[in-house]
Amino acid sequence: MAKGKILPEKDTFEAANRPLDNNLLRYVWRHTKAEQIWILFVIIASMPTYFLVLDLPVRIINEPIQGEGFEEADATRQFMDLTLSVPDWLGGFSLEIFAGFELSRWPYLIALSSWFLVLVCINGLFKFYINTYKGRLGERMLRRMRYQLADRVLRFPIHHFKRVKGSEVASMVKDEVEPFGEFIGDAFVQPVYLGGQALVAFVFILNQSFWLGMIAVAIIAVQVTLIPHLRKRVLVLGRMRQLTARLLSGRIGEIVDGITAVHVNDTSNYERAELSSRLGKIFFIRYELYQRKFFIKFLNNFLAQLTPFLFYVVGGYFAIRGTLNVGQLLGVINAYKDLPTPINGLILWDQKRVDINIKYAQIVEQFNIKGMSDAEMQAPSTEPVPPITGDITVSNLNVVDESGSTLVEDADFTLPINGITAAIGPLGSGAGAMANTLAGLQEPTSGRIKLNDSQLADLPQSIRGRRFGYAGSESYLPQSTIINTLLYVNKHAPLVTLDPNELGVNIHPKTETEAKASGNTLLDYYADWVDYDAMGISGPEGVYSKVRDALELVELDETIYELAMRQMLSPKETPELCQTLIDIRQEFHQRIDGSPLSEMVEIWDRTTYNEHATIAENLLFGTVEEDADFTADHLLDNDHLRTVLQSTKLDRDMFDMGVELAETAIELFADLSPDNPFFEQLNFMTPEQLEEYPPILGRAKQLGFDGVDETDRRMLLQLPFGYVERRNRLRLLDEELQERILQARKVFHDTLPQTMQGQISEYDLNSYNPLNAVRDNILFGKIAYGLSNATEEVQETIRELLIEKGLEDDIFNVGLQFDIGTGGKRLSENQRQRLIVARVLTKGSDMVIFNRAINTLDARSQERIISKVLERARGKNGSKPFGLLWVLTTPSLAEKFDEVMVFDRQRLSQMGSPDILKNENSTYVALVA
Amino acid sequence: MSKLKDEVDLLRSIPMLANMPANKLKLLAFASDRVSYPEGAMLFEQGDEADAAYIVISGSADVLVSSDGEAKPNKVAELGPNSFVGDMAILCDIPRTAGIQANSQLDTLRIRKEHMMDMVKESPTLAMAVLRELVQRLAKTTQDLSQAREEVSSLKAS
Repeated sequence: MAKGKILPEKDTFEAANRPLDNNLLRYVWRHTKAEQIWILFVIIASMPTYFLVLDLPVRIINEPIQGEGFEEADATRQFMDLTLSVPDWLGGFSLEIFAGFELSRWPYLIALSSWFLVLVCINGLFKFYINTYKGRLGERMLRRMRYQLADRVLRFPIHHFKRVKGSEVASMVKDEVEPFGEFIGDAFVQPVYLGGQALVAFVFILNQSFWLGMIAVAIIAVQVTLIPHLRKRVLVLGRMRQLTARLLSGRIGEIVDGITAVHVNDTSNYERAELSSRLGKIFFIRYELYQRKFFIKFLNNFLAQLTPFLFYVVGGYFAIRGTLNVGQLLGVINAYKDLPTPINGLILWDQKRVDINIKYAQIVEQFNIKGMSDAEMQAPSTEPVPPITGDITVSNLNVVDESGSTLVEDADFTLPINGITAAIGPLGSGAGAMANTLAGLQEPTSGRIKLNDSQLADLPQSIRGRRFGYAGSESYLPQSTIINTLLYVNKHAPLVTLDPNELGVNIHPKTETEAKASGNTLLDYYADWVDYDAMGISGPEGVYSKVRDALELVELDETIYELAMRQMLSPKETPELCQTLIDIRQEFHQRIDGSPLSEMVEIWDRTTYNEHATIAENLLFGTVEEDADFTADHLLDNDHLRTVLQSTKLDRDMFDMGVELAETAIELFADLSPDNPFFEQLNFMTPEQLEEYPPILGRAKQLGFDGVDETDRRMLLQLPFGYVERRNRLRLLDEELQERILQARKVFHDTLPQTMQGQISEYDLNSYNPLNAVRDNILFGKIAYGLSNATEEVQETIRELLIEKGLEDDIFNVGLQFDIGTGGKRLSENQRQRLIVARVLTKGSDMVIFNRAINTLDARSQERIISKVLERARGKNGSKPFGLLWVLTTPSLAEKFDEVMVFDRQRLSQMGSPDILKNENSTYVALVA
Repeated sequence: MSKLKDEVDLLRSIPMLANMPANKLKLLAFASDRVSYPEGAMLFEQGDEADAAYIVISGSADVLVSSDGEAKPNKVAELGPNSFVGDMAILCDIPRTAGIQANSQLDTLRIRKEHMMDMVKESPTLAMAVLRELVQRLAKTTQDLSQAREEVSSLKAS
């Protein structure tokens, strides 16, 4: 792989470090000079054809059709004759280049018409080329701009993120630059083109009559002075519109992020009012904008119409006086027809330019931030970064935050890279801020932090980000799978190019050319970025054991197994594993057969009623796809099921059951408040539904199945679907009824319409059910109600079986593919913190900083994990593979470390080994005791 | 609904619950689970957090207590049908004071802590019954204690 080609050159960094141009046109010109000139050239080259296309129809009508030059029967005309003629004022000679063909009237018509067709085609192709070219130009600029903005976000100083809202930045990068794309293609071409047209018409007018020309000049002058004046307010409004819209997206982002606070505090109406007030502001801004814009438009049109009026009056006066001949006046008026279009076009272009310039300036302002890190600091490097050794020396360190409060005061200390140090002190004592400063997340206000002889802040990110590991208490994780979340910390540069076909991704053949044309990075996203060497393994095959080891260390392995058991697998994607799981299912059934476990599981059997399952499950005898229209709550919406119930007369029995269930529910629950814990046991009805049933029940008792209306009938039929005989123990299902349900099951499946076949996956002992979790697939049945420890024992047996069959690793791998959800929210905070610690440990750094990284874990787990990490850090036989700086939540754990830093009121009050500190009468003793 | 009726009768046989209105007992029966244990299974261990109380429907169970320093717990009592066990721990939110082990096939009715607590909160009758039960047990314990003291002192004297 040609690494030199993909890694950026030095001048790329310099370009990236320059602040963005404040003027959009300058920005566009800087990046598209050559393209703009080329497109202008093409437009000029297209002019002759364009002119000919306009001119030819006149000739066709005049000559062959109306017969000009064909007055005599055998007259002919020259076609395609080429004569170079020089205007009279330059001497007036002409040179015949090509004499052309001599054609009679009929062939001449055909020849001219065909020539017209050819020219139309050429003209169309020109237009097609120009438009595509402009489009591409605009899109490239758009891509470049978005990339540059995003690149800047990656280099913002960390403290800046306290001030910006993610959704506002997103709205700028995504939406606000959008209109630029269209404009950029026309940025330079349009004014030149329209200006040229206007100039030609104008020169013609001047040529005809100086004074009439002056009238046109005067009107244009009025336009040119008046309109910018009127537009001032429009510009202000445009800016306001953009800002308010951005704030709106910021607020919506905030509402989404803080939605729990809205619900627990009943503030949704406050939010509504706020949104409405914001939308109102936006409305009035936009409305005023429209009023002004259209007023300007009206004025423009009026002035354009005023000119001919003046021509008629003034020109007419001159014509009557005899100072101007009528032919000249007509010529001027004709020429003026061509003037408003380009002038209006120019004004429009200018309006757009100003509008877009404002938008642009608004964006640039947000992205030209002071203190952005040097692009070269983030330069990608495919070379391994050698380990660091030695000491970190901190002298006179002071950290003050933006609001002016001191976080760390006058800290002086030396930390060996492979030292095992704890930092303790209450929250805000300075320990955390010190750790963040060392990790580069907080800028020191004064003082020096040196790694051996160089300033820590001057080290490129390839050293800081690879040789140091960091985990804080914040546990936000972007959406990904567990395995990719773990590997993320080792993705620094593309190391091995992979075959996109094998990955199943489609890569456009021009990917690289286009990336280059837009100034984007050429680094290959689809390459293998994982730095296996740093992880201490030889390649992808070593990942599993490394990752598993780390997950066991943070005690997340049980969670991963549990997640795996709840995952759904598709037999299409993992056919072998699914087949093996079917074998395991059979093995499991054999194993429990005859043992006490057999009573704990009731296996699905097509011909028996499963008393531990709901009536719905027994009827459907399969798993329904989530988005199908007959999931548990909406069973009765399904026509097929309704027909089956009717034809088997099961609906009458279920109606009776519904009556009994409603009666029971009302009797037992009617006087309970909806949040009463007893409602959890009412599995066939919600507290809200309960209120609807008494009148229905009254009608049902009076009128019976045939008498009640459809709504009542449905309400009652719905109830028994959730009924489980063994759980609810109401003895509603006798053997005869069970038999009838089994018949209905059979009819349901035998007559299943085509449209529903993909939506339900029937229980089949010999096939893997993609709509069921792994564990349910192995179990293939229901765990029995009313037997102590049934769930635990069955699950344990399944687990033992999986281990015995050597499937533990496969299952664990399934768990690693679990999608952690947006922000990692499908995991608990405690699990996310463990995951982050695990991945830091797989990174292979020389020094790991933990800043209250596991503060949401209980004290005992914290102690266990810290002990295990310490054991790793000390290594075998004192090898000390990596150093630790751990800001502890539980000070007493500091005794396990070699060195302890004690922070008190932003100062480092003590530092030394725990044994020595213990003997001093000090803060340490007070904290640890 | 004959089966729930059995369970309601069972609940009514417990002195503490005897005076509860019928629909409340039925609700309790509806909300509780029938759980059966094979011989030798532990219903709970001493020191466990209490989450439910049990009424023995059929079979019998041993009450096991282990004092400090003893590895093997001692059997202090045996429970037969209609005994109510684990009630105090769920009402007072204390860890289990004894372990219960089935010594035959054991069928129980399991009443969850939150349901029992809700019943006590809702019904003064039940609260009084619980109080009475507690006082009676306290009286018995006091009696046992003084008896034990007498025995100890007589042993010391001899």
